[in-house]
Amino acid sequence: MASAPQARLWMMRLLFPVLCFGIVFAHLLPLNTLPKGWAPPDLILCIALVWATRRPDYIPTLSIFFTLLMVDLLLYRPPGLLTMLTLLGCEFLKSRVQAHRETAFMSEWLTGAIVISAITLANRMILNLTNTEQATLTLSMIQMIMTIIAYPLLAVFCQSVLNVRKLSPSEADAMRGH
Amino acid sequence: MARDRSQREDYVTPLRRLLVGLLCLCLFAFFIVWRIDNPRVERFRAKVVDHVVPNMDWMMAPVTGTINLLRDFQSYQRLSEQNQELRSELRQMRAWKEAALQLEQENARLLDLNNVRLDPKLTYITGVVMADSGSPFRQSVLLNIGYRDGVQDGWAAMDGIGLVGRISGTGKTSARVMLLTDPASAIPVVIQPSGQSALVSGDNSISPTLNFLENADLVRPGDRVITSGDGSVFPAGLLVGQVAQDRTGRLRVRLSADYERLEFLRILRHHGTEVINDQGGLIVPDPDALTPRGRPQNLELSQEAAPSDG
Repeated sequence: MASAPQARLWMMRLLFPVLCFGIVFAHLLPLNTLPKGWAPPDLILCIALVWATRRPDYIPTLSIFFTLLMVDLLLYRPPGLLTMLTLLGCEFLKSRVQAHRETAFMSEWLTGAIVISAITLANRMILNLTNTEQATLTLSMIQMIMTIIAYPLLAVFCQSVLNVRKLSPSEADAMRGH
Repeated sequence: MARDRSQREDYVTPLRRLLVGLLCLCLFAFFIVWRIDNPRVERFRAKVVDHVVPNMDWMMAPVTGTINLLRDFQSYQRLSEQNQELRSELRQMRAWKEAALQLEQENARLLDLNNVRLDPKLTYITGVVMADSGSPFRQSVLLNIGYRDGVQDGWAAMDGIGLVGRISGTGKTSARVMLLTDPASAIPVVIQPSGQSALVSGDNSISPTLNFLENADLVRPGDRVITSGDGSVFPAGLLVGQVAQDRTGRLRVRLSADYERLEFLRILRHHGTEVINDQGGLIVPDPDALTPRGRPQNLELSQEAAPSDG
């Protein structure tokens, strides 16, 4: 009876790794080997947060785990650290879904911004504690702010193109009925 | 209905929490292992990259090609200006070429006179850049040659002119070159003509900084920076760039290699610098040899011949 929604659910679950792969692919293109003075937004983190806020069922924990670990390895980041922080951030957002369902976009963005800043700061702090060499503070801050700015744009993109919307309470109840 | 939901959640939530906790523990453990046993995890990473990125090459090459084509197309707009610039440059180049040819001949003559042998061990393999680091915080590129081609960690990578970086991590068919601009890169250099040794360390900017100079007063902007071979990681004498001073008065290196388009890189094979360990034995005459030595038979002949020669 629920084959169409089920199919869509699994398609969207597959879409997250595919999107991440596309972003990594674009990052890896050897177009510019000069060091840049700025940092682009961390789109993968942003997409994960937007989806976790809106449709937690589209990104299961294991999908985040494997996809982000792969991204960490490919993008030459300290493996595991950012994956762990993103996972925690997404879980935090997922646990607040109930509270979110009726709130306005501004408060959603604010929560997202707080989670992004927390992830950036925790990342820097843990790297500092383990004495790992890392990029300058300005570069991390630029990336954090860019990611926060990118959040509403990605939210609009996900809503209009990918049709990842917040569920209305009645739909949510219907989903739970399955 | 409400009670039903709460029951469901009571049953599911602890399990979820457990799963998330376990996964986070795994990830943190992985990070700590990376921090403690870095080479092993980096080898694992190189293996993963080696499996994934070369498979993306069929897709990457056309996309990169197309974008570069579009960029070139944009530059067509400035074609006529460029043409004039090129012509004037060509005139200058002709003069230089003449000078270079003369110098080359002179150089060859001098080398011949001195019987100099250039280091025959410095051969190279050329690799194509497949991908870059993909992160604004790291500066590295991935080449399409790996340990299958004999590439080893620590070898120097150059473009046609200057040093670009060193090999850091090799897979079977891919190798990562850490560029000089990477924050983790530090290369011992010597500055000519003053002969000061220093360390070129990257800081994510286009010109790496020059550290641990003994006497900064002896160094002027424009001096040549070449590798010193200290620490026997690199061969000595590779051109790195020129000294430059930034606005805050800090000494930096303007790199000679063209970082804007790294396409082909030369990896210099380097099998370590030879070290002389013994202090040289005593040279004694052969015990069986006659002392004093017999007079050579042909000495009288040569003495006779000498005056007539002059």
